[in-house]
Amino acid sequence: MTRLGFLLDSESCIGCHACTVACKAEHDVPLGVNRTWVKYIETGTFPDVGRHFSVMRCNHCDDAPCISICPTNALFRADNGVVDFDDDNCIGCKGCMNACPYDAIYINPATNTANKCNFCNHRIEQGLEPSCVVVCPTHAIKVADLDDPDDAATQIIARSETAVRAPEQNTRPKVHYLGADAASLDPLGSAIAADGMIWADTTAQHPSADPASDGVEARTAYTTAHEMTWKAKVSSYLVTKAVAAGVMMVAALLVLLGHGSEQAAVGVVPPVVAGAFLALTGVLLVGDLKRPERFYYLITRGNRRSWLVKGAAVLGAFAAVSAAWFVAGVVGSVGALQGLAAPAALLGLATAGYTALLFAQCEGRDLWQSPLVLPTLLAQAVAAGGATYAVMELAMDGPDAVAVQWVLLAGVLATAVFVAAELLGRGTPHVEAAVAAMARGRYARQFWIGGVVLGLLVPAVLVAVSLAADSGPVPAAVAGICAVVGMWFYEDSFVRAGQSVPLS
Amino acid sequence: MAELHPYPPHETWHDAVSLDAKAWPRRVENHHTLVPTTCFNCEAACGLVCHVNHATGRIDRIEGNPLHPASRGRNCAKGPATLNQIDDHERILHPLRRVGERGSGQWAPVSWDEALDNIGDRIRAAIAEGRHDEVMYHVGRPGEDGFAERVLQCWGVDGHNSHTNVCSSNARVGYQSWMGHDRPSADFANAEVIFLISSHLESGHYFNPHAQRIIEAQSKGATVICVDPRLSNTGSKADYWLPAWPGTEPFLLLAIARLLVLNDTWERDFVRRWTNWEVYLRERHPHRPVAFDSVGPALADDYAAYTPEEAERVCGVPADQIVEIARIIGAHPTKFASHNWRAAAAGNLGGWQTARCLFFLNVLTGSVGTVGGTTGNGWNKYKAPHPPGAPAFEQWNELSWPQEYPLAHHEMSILLPHFLAEGRGRLEVYFSRVYNPVWTNPDGFSWLEALKDQDKVACHVALTPTWSETAAFADYVLPMGVGAERHDVASFETHAGRWIGFRQPVLRRYAEIRGDAVSHESRTHEFNPGEVWEENEFWIELSWRIDPDGSMGIRRWFESSERPGTPMSVDEYYGAMFAGVPGLAEDAEAADQTPLEYMRDRGAYALEGDMYLPYERDVDSAELDGCHLDAAGVYRRSGTPGTWLGTAEDLAGLELADLGDGSPAVQVDGQPKEGFPTPSRKLELYSQTLADWGWPEYATPTWIPSHVHWEELDLSGDERILLPTFRIPTLIHTRSGNSKWLSEISHRHPLWIHPSDAEALGIEVDGLVRITTRIGHFVIGAWRTEGIRPGVVAASHHMGRWRLDPQNGGSWAGGDVDITNDGTQWRLSRRGRPERHASADDDTERIWWSDTGVHQNLTFCVQPDPVSGMQCWHQRVRVTPAQPGDAYGDVVVDTAEAAKAYRDWLAKTRPAPGPGGLRRPLWYSRPLKPTPAAYAL
Repeated sequence: MTRLGFLLDSESCIGCHACTVACKAEHDVPLGVNRTWVKYIETGTFPDVGRHFSVMRCNHCDDAPCISICPTNALFRADNGVVDFDDDNCIGCKGCMNACPYDAIYINPATNTANKCNFCNHRIEQGLEPSCVVVCPTHAIKVADLDDPDDAATQIIARSETAVRAPEQNTRPKVHYLGADAASLDPLGSAIAADGMIWADTTAQHPSADPASDGVEARTAYTTAHEMTWKAKVSSYLVTKAVAAGVMMVAALLVLLGHGSEQAAVGVVPPVVAGAFLALTGVLLVGDLKRPERFYYLITRGNRRSWLVKGAAVLGAFAAVSAAWFVAGVVGSVGALQGLAAPAALLGLATAGYTALLFAQCEGRDLWQSPLVLPTLLAQAVAAGGATYAVMELAMDGPDAVAVQWVLLAGVLATAVFVAAELLGRGTPHVEAAVAAMARGRYARQFWIGGVVLGLLVPAVLVAVSLAADSGPVPAAVAGICAVVGMWFYEDSFVRAGQSVPLS
Repeated sequence: MAELHPYPPHETWHDAVSLDAKAWPRRVENHHTLVPTTCFNCEAACGLVCHVNHATGRIDRIEGNPLHPASRGRNCAKGPATLNQIDDHERILHPLRRVGERGSGQWAPVSWDEALDNIGDRIRAAIAEGRHDEVMYHVGRPGEDGFAERVLQCWGVDGHNSHTNVCSSNARVGYQSWMGHDRPSADFANAEVIFLISSHLESGHYFNPHAQRIIEAQSKGATVICVDPRLSNTGSKADYWLPAWPGTEPFLLLAIARLLVLNDTWERDFVRRWTNWEVYLRERHPHRPVAFDSVGPALADDYAAYTPEEAERVCGVPADQIVEIARIIGAHPTKFASHNWRAAAAGNLGGWQTARCLFFLNVLTGSVGTVGGTTGNGWNKYKAPHPPGAPAFEQWNELSWPQEYPLAHHEMSILLPHFLAEGRGRLEVYFSRVYNPVWTNPDGFSWLEALKDQDKVACHVALTPTWSETAAFADYVLPMGVGAERHDVASFETHAGRWIGFRQPVLRRYAEIRGDAVSHESRTHEFNPGEVWEENEFWIELSWRIDPDGSMGIRRWFESSERPGTPMSVDEYYGAMFAGVPGLAEDAEAADQTPLEYMRDRGAYALEGDMYLPYERDVDSAELDGCHLDAAGVYRRSGTPGTWLGTAEDLAGLELADLGDGSPAVQVDGQPKEGFPTPSRKLELYSQTLADWGWPEYATPTWIPSHVHWEELDLSGDERILLPTFRIPTLIHTRSGNSKWLSEISHRHPLWIHPSDAEALGIEVDGLVRITTRIGHFVIGAWRTEGIRPGVVAASHHMGRWRLDPQNGGSWAGGDVDITNDGTQWRLSRRGRPERHASADDDTERIWWSDTGVHQNLTFCVQPDPVSGMQCWHQRVRVTPAQPGDAYGDVVVDTAEAAKAYRDWLAKTRPAPGPGGLRRPLWYSRPLKPTPAAYAL
């Protein structure tokens, strides 16, 4: 078999950027995005100073997280081992950009689809070298057929001490570096200094480690921009589906507690609320696609390994159960509700929690890979369910206000425990950089004031007071609103901090 | 896996099938014709191949030309970026005539016909009235060998002006003083030690071809040494980066030379055979016997002060490192390849001695013309023969060749505005071409004053594909083709070998291949976009307008010999040229093609054979007929400068050679050998010419303390040395501003400053800095880096482009500015930066950067080296935090101060006449050598 990779020879690379421009020309790559680029770092002190170059691009991983996460098979493995893509399939979900631990994928602003280095497979097909290989003045970019022991570049890889980027991600990358400075391959080993880069502007889209942080051994003198992809819509979707899941989970609990006959508060209103928030979830999800008109490709071209596809199935099933619940509620069938309670609760848990598995597919975002994500999401759903019911109590007389408040309190406290564990736990340097961004860095204000004080502390105190003083529904309802709004702030800081760590 | 190839086989180039990159993985086939041409971005003239799409007739992309012997199918970033320049939505497509004040930005369309008639009338009148010197063609990057020079020669006008003295004059004098050839040609690929005083891995002469071969040698074990006060990319790849104090490079080199002699690791026999050591001993050591054994002790004496310890003190390079490097160099005789072009040579007063001292190491190690050594460019460059042209003229244009600079290399172009201001002359027609003096030259406001004054410059014609700061002050802006839209032939000394490269208008060639009618009556502008002409056809047409009836004797040189009475076509011109290239006709015949067709299909041709040890060539007696052997062993031919007696009477009849004094050989150990094109036919350890023309103290390799020598500076105060001119790999002066891909990678040029300097000077991280020069100041941002010697600050010269009129291009690299003046007080301030905007190119909506840099050169006075005429670019400056009211990009200059500075530097010269009452040595190279009589003052 043929299994193509690159040998990037940093010993020969002169940092001329010819590969960057040849690639732009070959693929008509717009300004602002790159399939390949040359990173510069500087090390040492005068006169023992070094400037090191390393070419950055897709690693054509044998175990490619981008292929796994791609919901529509737009990214695929070509017969020659290359990770290729098909613009015609891409819905622009940007999952691949978070799955890739190498900053290799971008959204092409001209097509709104995800693009990256595809090894110039259209040229390989014709027996031609990739255009970066052809242009390179010093032959620093070489094609290696890693399955061919007689291949010259493969032999160099076998004989020499070479390195790959982010080996800890276990993606089995096929881009091998010869003579690269270790700090240049480690995204946290160098940082853009306050006075910027050698001959290009630094923008907010240039993620960088903090120059003062541990592990930074060098200055990043040149690199390219990588725009954050999942932002407010994703943070919002996490909250809307937590509400939908939570309200149904509480309704199921109430059924199990013997309140199935409460037609409005258990049988009808919860599925209506869940349905509304599920619809909102869908709007947010589709709205976040760069090609929303292609949303149905999730079904027609779905990749069943992708948690974006599986998640859509979970959401669909949960919507169906909620609809059934609504029907049962309207006709007043307590028996049916009792039969639906377990599926509704389980699908509620799945709806709330599946994102943990989606995040787990985001190999580029170590923060999101934490085992605490699943319990946190579930605890948030519990809190959101309690919160929703607490608010509903304002308008109607629910069956067991105390139980609802206890649910809210339990959800909030559990969330607090998991968040605290996240903050206090140790992780990879990437995780710690992300946690630092969340707790002490760019997102600290929204995390502490929004996520912790508004989302956890205030509701916990209000509910505790409410339970102790029996002060009517208002304090608990306020607590519920605070909990849900605060949850958004927390999620938003978590989602953004996870993406704030440089990958290249 | 099936073997991969870089390019489709040559036999498929007229219809190469490729798969559409954007449609992939759907298989959509495209058909392209691959047309070779030559890159016009830097001086290296690498090969390009343009892929012309059969369906659209447009160039889809540009790759390298695998048949090009120097670039070998590979390119730097600027090669493929040529596509941006072709597709540039802001390029000039139609000729324009100024209608408002000069510089007001008011233009009206004009027909080519009208423009040609008007310019032709002016030139005809100037020539007819004996005002030949009022016609000047001022060229930056020529991109060709001799076409325009032939035009001027045929007009009888000494009107060639160049960019050389903002570029390479110093290096040329240094090299010519040794070997007659004014450029080095290093055989990097085979070297064992590579010594660079230039940044050849990112710029230099010649970036891509040299980088390929330097890295090739390094990977085979060669030691690479790079001298540069700042960490260039080249410095970072070198095995030894020596950040010597600016201007002390000759000192460092002489310290190494001394060690080679003391260690007895010099090639005594080579030095004995091939240097003029006898003259050296006689002139410098009259008390020693004139025997070769005296040379070692004499050199040791001369350079006794250049100890490693003293070199450490003066240069700032550790003594033990100098000793180690001398040991390495000494251990690799004949395999020492070195190169200096701009860098230290271009930066310093006396910088020409950098090249002279560097080549001294080649001489001492016997690495001259050897495998792995360095030779003269003349031996690795092939000038294809142009059709016959007019004989030498008798003009001598003092605006370009003033008496103060008899040894200048070449024209004193930087002084032109001062000469005009002094009333030394005026210009009727001034052509600027690939040249942007308002921006590129020092003292741009003096240029602006000259160009705005119609009494000084009556008609300024800008020949340019794109807007520039200089074109904004033209009377006519005439659009000329970029690299893929014109014919040129060039050859450069990129490696040990000789080649010619052919630039051709790609769409014209494409039409020809497709079978469309392309005849002798076709003109390139019919195939180019808009009304974009090529210069060859412009010069031919203009020459006809100057002399429509042939009565001035000009037209005949531009007339078809195949079809008398009609203008010569480019096919005829280049057909004749290629027919004269040795071996080409035979190879073309073997391919069943004419030489022209052969070149149109391949774009380049390598001449056979290597040129190692050319000076050792035995000269047979037939070549020496009529010569006499002089006392120094040189075969002299009568009627050449080598036998001139120094009297006016016999000056007129002399035959001047392009290089050298016309002597054909030198006797070495009893054998007549070709030798070097110097008066002694040997390498001149002692340059009699420098001594005779007023500089005896510099006749041997010498260190001349620079005008920015650190010991003269108040380093404990706020004085520092500014390095304002360094290239980066992606840009080329002001020619790459219309490439979006290049501008995206590089658009800012913060001031490199060592953290210790920043702290001492109170400059904040990322703070604004005011740099004060002799004539003004500019305001720039600081960039703290360990990659620069403390005491030195630096900013690349590419950035700081501006435009007065937003219509004048510059979307990617230009900033809108206001220029105001109060008498001689000029101020430039920025009012805008690149903004996202809608245009024919969607990418203008995606511009993500805002910095475009600061125009430094405006604040530099002219600083011509009194020997070479080179602008000594390094600046003695005061570095302070910006003052209240300073804004990024501000430039303030007093041109009255600039005029004073000009006079101060002029006073350093030792003017002609030289021996025999001449303006310039007869053997010195010069574009358009006039008749010998014109040399007499």
